[in-house]
Amino acid sequence: MTEESSSAQAGTVLSLRWSLSSMRHRVWLISGLVVLISLLGLLLSWLDPGIRAPLRPGLDFTGGTQVQLERRCDDACAELKAIAVSDVIRNLDLPQEEGQPLPNLGAPRVQLLDGGQSLLLRLPTLSAAQGQAVIEAVEPVAGPFLTGGQSVDTIGPSLGKQLLRSSLISLLVAFSGIAAYISFRYDRRYAFLALVALAHDVAIVCGVFAWLGVLLQLEVDSLFAVSLLTIAGYSVNDTVVVFDRIRERSKDAADLPLSLQVDQAVSATLTRTLYTSGTTLLPLLALVFFGGATLYWFAIALALGVVVGSWSSIALAPSLLTLWDRSRD
Amino acid sequence: MARYQGWFALVLALAIAAGMFLVRTPLELGLDLRGGSQLTVEVKPAGDITRVGAEEMEAVKAVLDRRVNGLGVAESTLQTVGESQLVLQLPGEQDPTAAARVLGDTALLEFRAQKPDSEAEFRGLRQLRSQVEAILRLREDQIRRGEIPEPLDLDQLKSTQETLGLDGQASSEEEQLRELLKKVDSDLLMMLEPAALTGKQLVTAGRQPLQNNPNSWEVTLNFDGEGAEAFADLTKSIAGTDRLLAITLDDQLISAASVGPQFKSAGISGGAATISGNFSAETARELEVKLRGGSLPLPVEVIEVRTIGPTLGAENIRRSLVAALSGLALVALFMVVAYRLPGAVAVMALSLYALFNLAVYALIPVTLTLPGIAGFILSIGMAVDANVLIFERIKDELRRGNTLIRSIDTGFSEAFSSIVDGHLTTLISCAALFFLGTGLVKGFAATLGIGVLLSLFTALTCTRTLLRFLMGYAGLRRASNFLPTGQLPSPTA
Repeated sequence: MTEESSSAQAGTVLSLRWSLSSMRHRVWLISGLVVLISLLGLLLSWLDPGIRAPLRPGLDFTGGTQVQLERRCDDACAELKAIAVSDVIRNLDLPQEEGQPLPNLGAPRVQLLDGGQSLLLRLPTLSAAQGQAVIEAVEPVAGPFLTGGQSVDTIGPSLGKQLLRSSLISLLVAFSGIAAYISFRYDRRYAFLALVALAHDVAIVCGVFAWLGVLLQLEVDSLFAVSLLTIAGYSVNDTVVVFDRIRERSKDAADLPLSLQVDQAVSATLTRTLYTSGTTLLPLLALVFFGGATLYWFAIALALGVVVGSWSSIALAPSLLTLWDRSRD
Repeated sequence: MARYQGWFALVLALAIAAGMFLVRTPLELGLDLRGGSQLTVEVKPAGDITRVGAEEMEAVKAVLDRRVNGLGVAESTLQTVGESQLVLQLPGEQDPTAAARVLGDTALLEFRAQKPDSEAEFRGLRQLRSQVEAILRLREDQIRRGEIPEPLDLDQLKSTQETLGLDGQASSEEEQLRELLKKVDSDLLMMLEPAALTGKQLVTAGRQPLQNNPNSWEVTLNFDGEGAEAFADLTKSIAGTDRLLAITLDDQLISAASVGPQFKSAGISGGAATISGNFSAETARELEVKLRGGSLPLPVEVIEVRTIGPTLGAENIRRSLVAALSGLALVALFMVVAYRLPGAVAVMALSLYALFNLAVYALIPVTLTLPGIAGFILSIGMAVDANVLIFERIKDELRRGNTLIRSIDTGFSEAFSSIVDGHLTTLISCAALFFLGTGLVKGFAATLGIGVLLSLFTALTCTRTLLRFLMGYAGLRRASNFLPTGQLPSPTA
């Protein structure tokens, strides 16, 4: 379908808005440094005695019970100290469940959110009745609570492992599916580079969240797993468009050196990539600023992924392509 | 041109149909948006069955379905997830305690005769059991009210523990009492004959208050023919003796009764019986629900309970809607500023895109959750990308001095391959997420996948049709509607 216009294009010298191949060392240095800092974050998180994992795992992965309660505050909320709530919980006698050991409430984690308007409790895995007992016990100290404003999540310990396993499996399947598709439509070099760009994006987003976990005690949940999978899809989508243009240039201007072909293709798709990233970022930033607390870090992870993904598709992946061909020549 | 008018009519018809469909069929909202409880149970292999297969899941689901219906929560749904899990959703339910109890029990009901020559010991143990239980309940109540219970008679506790062969190592006095109860229960079970009939032979179960005490309830049972016969034989064998008829549920004695000598000749016939074991209206109802549902072929464990309040849900939906709409408004503004006439056309096409998306959600139906909304917002980003790709190509063609109509056609066909590649790779990840992921991930993959498929359609059909349709008006057919005049090549060049 490109035949009819190719003759016109071959005569036109495309203006270069960005000469990528002349700055490729700088691109590699930047990407290399950022990836290194990310890996350092993952390592630090692993070495942290309180985490012992590349990322600080949240309730979805560790299992347990999380209770969120909205306090009814007419004018101002009555003064509340987290320690008072945890004292009540520590001394609570839970109803026994048939055939189950009694959960140990010795170390509850109590957090006050929104300036004391809501209360977040992190407890070991409780049954539904035991969760209710905790809420009833806390009410005299921290209540009254808004009816309908409470949420109780209980995740069994086995569920977290399943979630982790199914996320990893689906990520691997998605990777190989994408690699197979690109190998089929382009060739194996493009598939390999698309995966390099993808691994680069995922590593950086993970690294940032590892640092956040070490510094701000931020935990990753199942939504974070979703965001990584989305970033993977987005990153490849972004890279493929640039590759498509490089392939087109290598057909239309086969006599030019490859680095010039790549430069021309990247320049031609630059506006598109920036516009697309911008328009994808707009709703995500709207979610960050106006969305509920549930989606706050999810949107941040996605926004970060979009920024990193654009960088890897307009700078990293094409510049690596030029390296490949020169070493072959 | 007539060809594009035909397409235009089709797009218009689809839009009207989607709009009318949406008005009639409301969207299904997930529990995170409307509030309610969600319980996940896992079916565990037991006995001869080492792997839980599809057949076992069917059998377990059938039983749980009946139990859930017995609970009477409107619009509750029970779905199989993965190989061995079931997810129960109870919209609007704030206290999942009862549901968790009803789901989790095996509910194996057994009728067993007491072994001969164990009368005295059996009676003694039952007496001990009710004493210990009364003490334990009293202490639990006191602790709940914040009072400090009186210390136990430790000598008596010790001697009882020794008689039963317990070492009394449990941490607190309450724990010791619970341990005692457990031991008594298992000793009681040892004194029973194997089951003569089980809940399988039950036809119906009901409940009624006791005549002399309306606060205490009993559960009524009706057996089938085979069960009635077995029940008659069972009662006949112990009638007039001191041996008791024991009723156990999940290996716990819930009731024991003597059978009078008048049944010596024929047993209790007619196939009806009652269980009176100190039930309140609520516990009687729960037992009835479990018995009606039948016993589970395999044990299940409640592994996840999520409850979210309705106002929290409403807050979530309001905020996400505000975010989505403001994000879209910004995108629309950007498109018009950056691409002029085609930008405005793209905004129309994207509005149609959003409409089609919602209609498909209602049609399939897709239950909208928070991650689902996020997937939708992200798919809008990809839909915009398709339009941006096309318009950038059109601009390129115009800059080269091509005519407007030619530029539009070339723009679409040149952008086609990268749009298809980009969308298909996203679709591959969506498929992996949907078929291998769980819960939240699935909802996200579903909306993103639908969005990507529809985006292919709207970008390649709606935008093109609308653009070509508008090009039919000479007033709009001007290159300056696409590009600032300064960027156009001068006619002489």
